[in-house]
Amino acid sequence: MPAGGCRSVRAVMTIATTAPAQEGASAPERPARRRMRALDSVRRHYSAWLFLAPALILFALFKFVPMIRAISMSFKNVRPYLGDQWVGLDNYRSVLTDSSFLSACWHTAVIAVAQTGGSMLVGLVLALLLEGTARHLWIVRTAVFLPTVTAMAVVAALWRIIYYPAADGALNSVLGWFGLGPSQYLDSPHTALISVLGVGIWRSAPYDMMIFLAGLAGVDRTLYEAAEVDGASIWQRLTKVTFPALRPVFGIVLTLAAIRGLRVFTEIYLLTNGGPSGSTEVVMTLVYKLGLERNELGVASAGAMILLVATIVLTLIAQSRRRRAR
Amino acid sequence: MAGRRALAVAVAAVIAAGGLVACGSDKPKADAKAELQIWVRKPPGSNTEKTDIQLAAKFTAETGIPAKVTALFDDFETKLQQAAAQKHLPDIVINDTDQVGTLVKQGIVTPVDKSTFTGAADLGSAWQSATASDGKIYGVPFSLQSYALLIRKDWRTKVGLPEPKSWADLDALAKAFTTRDPDGDGKADTYGYVIPGSTKRGYLSWYFSTWLWSNGGDFLSGKPGAYTPAINNAQSVAAVDELKKQFCTDKTVVPGSITAQTTDAHPLFESGKGGIYLTGPYNMARFDKNLGKDKYEVLALPAGPDGTAPATLGEGENIYLMAGSKNPAGQLKFAEFATSVEGQTLGMAGNTDGNVVRSPVNSKVNTDSVRNDPRWTLFGQLLQQDAHYAPAVPDWSPFRQDSADTLNAIASNCSLDVKTQLDKLAGTFNDELSKQGAKA
Repeated sequence: MPAGGCRSVRAVMTIATTAPAQEGASAPERPARRRMRALDSVRRHYSAWLFLAPALILFALFKFVPMIRAISMSFKNVRPYLGDQWVGLDNYRSVLTDSSFLSACWHTAVIAVAQTGGSMLVGLVLALLLEGTARHLWIVRTAVFLPTVTAMAVVAALWRIIYYPAADGALNSVLGWFGLGPSQYLDSPHTALISVLGVGIWRSAPYDMMIFLAGLAGVDRTLYEAAEVDGASIWQRLTKVTFPALRPVFGIVLTLAAIRGLRVFTEIYLLTNGGPSGSTEVVMTLVYKLGLERNELGVASAGAMILLVATIVLTLIAQSRRRRAR
Repeated sequence: MAGRRALAVAVAAVIAAGGLVACGSDKPKADAKAELQIWVRKPPGSNTEKTDIQLAAKFTAETGIPAKVTALFDDFETKLQQAAAQKHLPDIVINDTDQVGTLVKQGIVTPVDKSTFTGAADLGSAWQSATASDGKIYGVPFSLQSYALLIRKDWRTKVGLPEPKSWADLDALAKAFTTRDPDGDGKADTYGYVIPGSTKRGYLSWYFSTWLWSNGGDFLSGKPGAYTPAINNAQSVAAVDELKKQFCTDKTVVPGSITAQTTDAHPLFESGKGGIYLTGPYNMARFDKNLGKDKYEVLALPAGPDGTAPATLGEGENIYLMAGSKNPAGQLKFAEFATSVEGQTLGMAGNTDGNVVRSPVNSKVNTDSVRNDPRWTLFGQLLQQDAHYAPAVPDWSPFRQDSADTLNAIASNCSLDVKTQLDKLAGTFNDELSKQGAKA
C-alpha cells in the first residue's frame, strides 16, 4: 500500500509541474493560471495531509517515537529513575554472544520457514478446494477462516486442552485409536517446537487461503476452458495455468507470512513461554523476558533492533525480487 | 518537493510533540491530600482484592487520605516495569519480599527510616524481609508465609499408607496415587505430585527451594557480600535428583506440570488429578470450598535423606513506598496503618479466603483470636522454626530465573545429567555474583 500511495502522489505532482509547460502558447493567461494551479495543488496536498494526520500522529506516538527511543536505549544501560548510562555497543555484544539468543534466533528461523511453508501449502490446498460461488462453499469458507479471527488467548487455551499430554488427552485419545502415543506435545523439549508450529499453521493457513482465493478469482476462466479443450490434465491445468497466474499472489503471501513468522510471539508466550528447557524460545519471547522480567531494557532493545534489521532486510529482498520478476 | 518538505515538517512536529509528552517533570510537589494509588498482586475480582479495598477504605476513614486499590495478578512485575519506564509509578506496591533487590537496583523504591516509623518495634525480626543487601530498609513487611504439603487424605486412606515421614514415604505415596486408582473411577487418571514447573517468574525454582533446603542443600553459601554457589554440592545434587526421579523415573507428576504456572496448578489439585501439593496456606480456603476440608490434610515436608531438619521457604509481602510519589507522608501513614494491630487483623480476614495477611508481621496480633484453625497454626510454626529466606544478594531475580531454567531443563529432558547441569548453573551463579559484587 505505501508504495502505491507514494506513486499516486508523485503522479499528481508530475501533472502539476508539466501541465503549465504544455499550455505555454496562451501567454496572457499564464501568470494568473500558474498561481491558481500552484494554490490548487497546495490546497489539494494540504487536505491530503490533513486526512493523513490522525493516522500519522498515532503512528508517530505509538510506533516511530518508541522505535527511536528503542534505538537510543539499545546503546544504554536503562534505569528510568537513576538516569541512563551510555554503554556503546556492550548491549549488542552481550546479546550476540548469549547462547540463548543464538538458539532463539535459530528457533525463530525454523518457525518462520516452516510456518510460512506449511501455512502457504495448507492455505493453497484449502483455496483450491473451496474456490467457487456456491452457497455451501461460502459457509465452509467462513468456518475455515474462524481460527484466524479467534483471539489468540482463546486459541492457546483450546490447544493446551487438545495437547493435554496424558493418555486421556484429546489428541492423545485419537492417537490411541491407532495404537500410537501418548505424545508429550508442549511438555517435551523434543516435540514442543513442532507442536507450537502446528498451532501456528492451523491459525495462519486460513489467512493465506483468503489471499489465494482473491488471486484465484482473478484467473481468466477461458484459460481453463482452453486448457481443457487442449486435453490438459487437472495437474497440468494447475501447474500451467493456475500457478503462473498466482505468481504475484505468492510473492505477497510469502512476504507477509515470513514477517509474521519472524515476529512470532503470542502463541509461544501463551502456549509454552519459551519452555520446556528453552526449546521454543524465540527472539520476541527472549526480548520480552530480558526487558520486562530481568529489567535489562537496554539489552532487550538491542535484541529487538537486530530483529528489526533482519525484518527490513528480508522485506527489501522480497520487494526487489518481486520487482525483478515483474 | 513540497510534499516531501511538508512530510518532513509534519513528522518532525509530531516527534517533537511526542518527546514533550514523554518528558514529564520528575519531582512532583508534595501534597498531603493526594490520592494514593495502591497496586496489589491479587487476582482482580477475588476476595483478597476485596480485603485490600476494605483495608484502604478503613485507612481513608481514619486519616482522610484517599486511596485507590488496583488489583493486578498476571505479569504484575511486567506492568510495574512498564509504569516505571513511563515514570508514572503507583504510590504503594504490595508485592513479594524477594522483589526488594530488583526495586532497589532500579531506584524505584524509597528507603524507610525505622527510627521514625510508628510501631516499628512491634514488627521485630520481620524487618529483615525488607532489608536490602546494603543493610538499608526498603519497604515495610506486611505478611509472612511458609509452605507445607497438602495431601489428599481420602486417597491416602484408600491406598492404606501412613502419613509420610520421609521422602521415600512420599514417593511411595505418590506411586500409589498414580497406579492404584485412589479415586476409584477405574481409570488411570490420577497422579502423585502437582508441581508448578513453568519458568515464568522462576516458579519452579521458587517451588523447589523448600525441597532443596529440606535436604540440606542451598543455592548459595556464605554471607551477604561474600557468597559462593552451593547449588552443585552433594546435598543440592541429591535434592535435584529427587525432582528428576519424580518426573522421569517414577512419572508420578501430573502431566502438563512442566509448563504449568501456579494458576494452572491449583485446579490440578482441586479437580482430583494430583494428590500431593506443596503450597502456601493461602490456598486452603479455596480448596476447602472446591474440594472439601475433610478431603485433604496439611503436613510439613519431611527432611530429605541428607537433611537434618525440615525446612520451608519463608517469604511474604512487603509494602513498598515507590519513588516519585506526590504524597510521601501519606505513603508512610498507609504503611503504619497496614502493619498496626488493626490493619493486620483486618488483612488476616479470619478463616476466609480473603486473607491478604497470611501470618501477621506484628507481634502484638493474637493470631488464635483471629483464626481458630490448627492448620494455620502449623504454617505459623513452620515459619518460626524452619523458615529459610532467599539469600540477601542485591538482586535475587536472575538467580531464581536461571535456576528455574536449569531445573525445568532437567525435569523435561530426562537424558540430561544432573551434576553436569548444576555445575553449569553454579558457573552462571558465579558470573552473576561477580556482576552484582556479592562474590566471596
